[in-house]
Amino acid sequence: MSQPFLQMRNIRKRFGAVEALKGVTLEAHAGEALALIGANGAGKSTLMNVLGGVYAPDEGDILLGGQTARLHSPLEAERSGIAFVHQEMAMLPTMSVADNLFISHFPTQMGRIKRTEVLDACRAALQRLGCTFDPRVRVGDLSPGDQQMVEIARAIMTDPKIIIFDEPTSSLTSREKQRLFDVIGALKRAGTVIIYISHFLDEAFALCERAVVLRNGETVGGGMMGDLTYARVVELMIGAQNASADREQQTRQPGAVALQVEGLRREGVLRDLRFSLHKGEVVGLWGLLGSGRSELLRSLVGLDPIDGGMLRIAVNGELRALPPGEARRWMGIVTENRRDDGLLLPMPVKTNMSIANLPELIGRIYPFVDGRREASVSQTYVERLKIKIADLRQPVRTLSGGNQQKVIVGRWLQKAPLVYLMDEPTRGLDVGAKAEIRAIISELAEAGAALLVVSSDIDEIMSISDRYLVLNRGRLVAEFPRGASKNELMAAAAGVGT
Amino acid sequence: MNRRLRNFLLNYGFYLVMALVVLYFAANSRNFLAIDNLFRLANTAAPSIIIASGLALVVMTGKLDISVGSIAFVSCTVGLLLILRQGVPIPLGLLIILLTGALLGAVNGFIVVVLKVNPLITTIGTMIALRGVAFQLTEMRAFSIPEPLRVATNARLGPITIDIVVALLAVLAVWYLHTRTPFGRQVNALGNGEEVAARLGVRVGRVTFLTFVLSGLMAALGGMFLMFQVDSINSQLGEGYEFTAIAIIVIGGISLFGGQGSILGLIPGALMLTIIQAGLNFIGASPFAYPFVRGGIIFIAMYADSLKSFVRQRGRFAEEEGDEGIRLTSP
Amino acid sequence: MNSPQSSSSSASNPLANVLSRESLFRLLPLVIVLIAALAVGSRSENFLTQQNMINVLLQSASLALMAMGMTVVLITGGIDLSIPSLMAFSGILGAMVLRDGGDPLVAGLVMLATGAAVGFINGFAVAYLRMIPFVVTLSMLAILSGAAVSVTNARSIGLEPGSPFISGVSAPVLGIPLPILIMFAVMLVLEVLLRSSLFGRWLFAVGTNLRAALVAGVPSRRVIALAYVASGLLAGAAAVVTTALQGAAGPTFGREGVVLDVVSSAVLGGVSIYGGVGGAINAVVGAILITLITNSMNLLNVSYFLTLVIKGIVIIAVVALTTQRKG
Repeated sequence: MSQPFLQMRNIRKRFGAVEALKGVTLEAHAGEALALIGANGAGKSTLMNVLGGVYAPDEGDILLGGQTARLHSPLEAERSGIAFVHQEMAMLPTMSVADNLFISHFPTQMGRIKRTEVLDACRAALQRLGCTFDPRVRVGDLSPGDQQMVEIARAIMTDPKIIIFDEPTSSLTSREKQRLFDVIGALKRAGTVIIYISHFLDEAFALCERAVVLRNGETVGGGMMGDLTYARVVELMIGAQNASADREQQTRQPGAVALQVEGLRREGVLRDLRFSLHKGEVVGLWGLLGSGRSELLRSLVGLDPIDGGMLRIAVNGELRALPPGEARRWMGIVTENRRDDGLLLPMPVKTNMSIANLPELIGRIYPFVDGRREASVSQTYVERLKIKIADLRQPVRTLSGGNQQKVIVGRWLQKAPLVYLMDEPTRGLDVGAKAEIRAIISELAEAGAALLVVSSDIDEIMSISDRYLVLNRGRLVAEFPRGASKNELMAAAAGVGT
Repeated sequence: MNRRLRNFLLNYGFYLVMALVVLYFAANSRNFLAIDNLFRLANTAAPSIIIASGLALVVMTGKLDISVGSIAFVSCTVGLLLILRQGVPIPLGLLIILLTGALLGAVNGFIVVVLKVNPLITTIGTMIALRGVAFQLTEMRAFSIPEPLRVATNARLGPITIDIVVALLAVLAVWYLHTRTPFGRQVNALGNGEEVAARLGVRVGRVTFLTFVLSGLMAALGGMFLMFQVDSINSQLGEGYEFTAIAIIVIGGISLFGGQGSILGLIPGALMLTIIQAGLNFIGASPFAYPFVRGGIIFIAMYADSLKSFVRQRGRFAEEEGDEGIRLTSP
Repeated sequence: MNSPQSSSSSASNPLANVLSRESLFRLLPLVIVLIAALAVGSRSENFLTQQNMINVLLQSASLALMAMGMTVVLITGGIDLSIPSLMAFSGILGAMVLRDGGDPLVAGLVMLATGAAVGFINGFAVAYLRMIPFVVTLSMLAILSGAAVSVTNARSIGLEPGSPFISGVSAPVLGIPLPILIMFAVMLVLEVLLRSSLFGRWLFAVGTNLRAALVAGVPSRRVIALAYVASGLLAGAAAVVTTALQGAAGPTFGREGVVLDVVSSAVLGGVSIYGGVGGAINAVVGAILITLITNSMNLLNVSYFLTLVIKGIVIIAVVALTTQRKG
């Protein structure tokens, strides 16, 4: 066996109190693809950002071709031959492919862009990727797959020795995916090191020679792909000792249907979804990043457009068609990013808690909100949710993450909707706050509400759910009862046939 | 509606309307399509086209500069007063006009880029302040341009005036800059999103600053021809031209959201506006109708623009799609 | 990621929140300008007399009404540049009604209705047609000033000196001219509406974070459209006051500096151009300050033109200051 071209030895990186990388070691060989596997938060991105020069490691060495490399900035990394194809593309949609590839470093002659040279270089790069479109085409007119190719072309134009692909297939059709794999194959034959990050295990097995599995910032296993099995990889990702999660609450008996969804679809995002939610149950919506989890929640309340589908909501025990404009009368949504689209950060706690419920708080004179009732109702929920504040007028910005999240939950509790949709309700919270939010979720279900909860934390979702729906690329691929195992869930979400 | 038909209408609707308008006027008045008349129209439109060509670069970055009319006024005032009162040679005086324009553009650019003041507020402020400066300098009086300059600038080759030639050259120059140089491409990149452009290595501040400088320079050049056309400066010079220039830009198909459109569109855009004005005169319409007709056309052009960018962004957060439309500032 | 923020210091004392450094900063430009205006003004004997103070308030009335309209729109994060030209145009239509022997009440209603109708067009274009507020209202400005010129042939329409419209609107009540009372009454009503009505609450939510407001189910488009209607209506009210005080209406009434004065009043009073912050009181205080500046410059014999320059610099400086500390 030849000497590995890339060696990362004992890499440590700490962010504040959190140790993101606890001495990770990784080796990759020229002409081979290495799959970097791990659940959310395992440290994959941090590790790759260290390699890409974005973060400086606290400890550890990086060797390229046996020489210690200095990678203190993205530019240095680029000069050392490391290219990064980001999951989030940097595109100028109204401009040509050529403009997109050369925007910061056009070759010029007397101030004029050397057009022929640029176009030739673009054509050469695109040809290597097997792309047939012209470099003069507007990027916005290309399919997402072709745009991804432009992003890759940008990476290979520097003739890198190492290319990192971060979830490159999340927006691709199966044909585009095949083309990407062909390209990666060609790059490998040309002697490039490929590091491939993907949630989809089938891709890793199809494409890569080796794998490294990370868990909680540590290398927990790996080796040649041929020596591994799906089951083994899943086990490494989630840790064998913890295969069945503890449940925090008693068994609940779900009631009647609260919300029925039929044929919900949106091109390229959601495919013909049908399911129902029952009163008094927590349904865990499980799927990988990019599977359409958040989009599904947002579509249900009319925040994202849909191309078709039918919702029915139970009103007085009878299912009734629900027009999109009315969805928010019956459903409360806790969005994924509370700072961007959840909270009115500079405004008082009280305002943040009452905003969804204001029409109900009108006093005796029509358009005026009854301030006293608003305060007392909000106070009730502050106490019930044990939100730690000094005053209802305190700006919500000054609260801790856990308390902020409780304010949003309190907002919907006030409104008392039939259905709660929660997207990553415990993200970014500390252990104590997480537990509190989970307890509130259980309470809500016991009080008869229907809840659809998204979480990337498998232990969490297993501890709260009465039932699971599994999404994969916008399709509902499986439904499991409470007793499902972690491996079943993982495998279904990763697109591995069960 | 059929998607293809809609796209066609969005992209070419204006040329269609323009053709209809011309036909209508031509049918209703005999001399309207006479060559002489067309050139006269082009001559009238020339200064606004020049001003619009510089402003278009700012618009391409997704910003606006409404101080262009005032910059035109101040620059011409400074130059002409130096010529008249200090005996500065005419060519040098004209050069000073251009330099003053560029300098004032640089002031705008500095406030926007370095002090990070919202460009709209910046240019409202400089629009008013500069008009005040020019009023102060002229004491609200009118000044005629010197005789030799008057003679020289009235030179023409048949129906073709210097104004028309310079306007065409200005549009071509800015078009060349926009499509053929790295700077122009980077201007367009900013209009696609400053964050993305920065991630791709574009020096956002520098490019933004330069667009304001060029906008000021072209405003001064346009103002100069405005001055030549009336052979003088008076307190109304350049007034309202910020709006005319924006109108030409939108009608010419350049998106106010940035990053979209061709500089060459300014020519049909300007002609359309001028033809309507002249046409309404020709058929003897009440002057009362003119602001409404013009305003209506500009409204439709802007609506088409926002509709186009709406179509472009489809797939995002449904109700948020008009986000930029609703807010003055990006969040 | 977003680490949870410590809440210890500010949570312990609610008063500290209200008087936080931020709100002090917001008041800073106001204080500076007030001190400067007083310092400049006190050099002239007439400045601090009661009569001059009444005059300042009277001169502020129209500007304050327009600034309140601008404030409502600024709170949504938009801007309405058409306010002054709308004021002029509404005034002209009302004055034409009076000239043709119309009832003063009808004339007043015509002015208000014109304002609201044009405001509705602006609001509809911004909220439902998704057009850029700055450009929509700039076009409206151009349309209205063009229309004002063509309707009047560029001349102003004078009212008869003893017109009941003038005496009705500008009559003193309890020794205070009615326009001043209108200004303060509108301020109180608007402030209460903004602070405690459903519309007001929604308005602030939309301006603070449009996406969050949508997620919380706020009917954002309706709220935004309504903000422009309110702004138009207030421009109409300003037309009533201006027409009565000037005894005339004309196309030049909404020109030049007025747009800047309206924006500056709001910004100087502490309304944020970034949306979500401000109130009617801010607008009125700002308008009075701007009038004070104008007034003290007059007293110092600073030319009108130089006043424009100074005002232009003031607004840029104020916004630059508030932007800098935002980081």
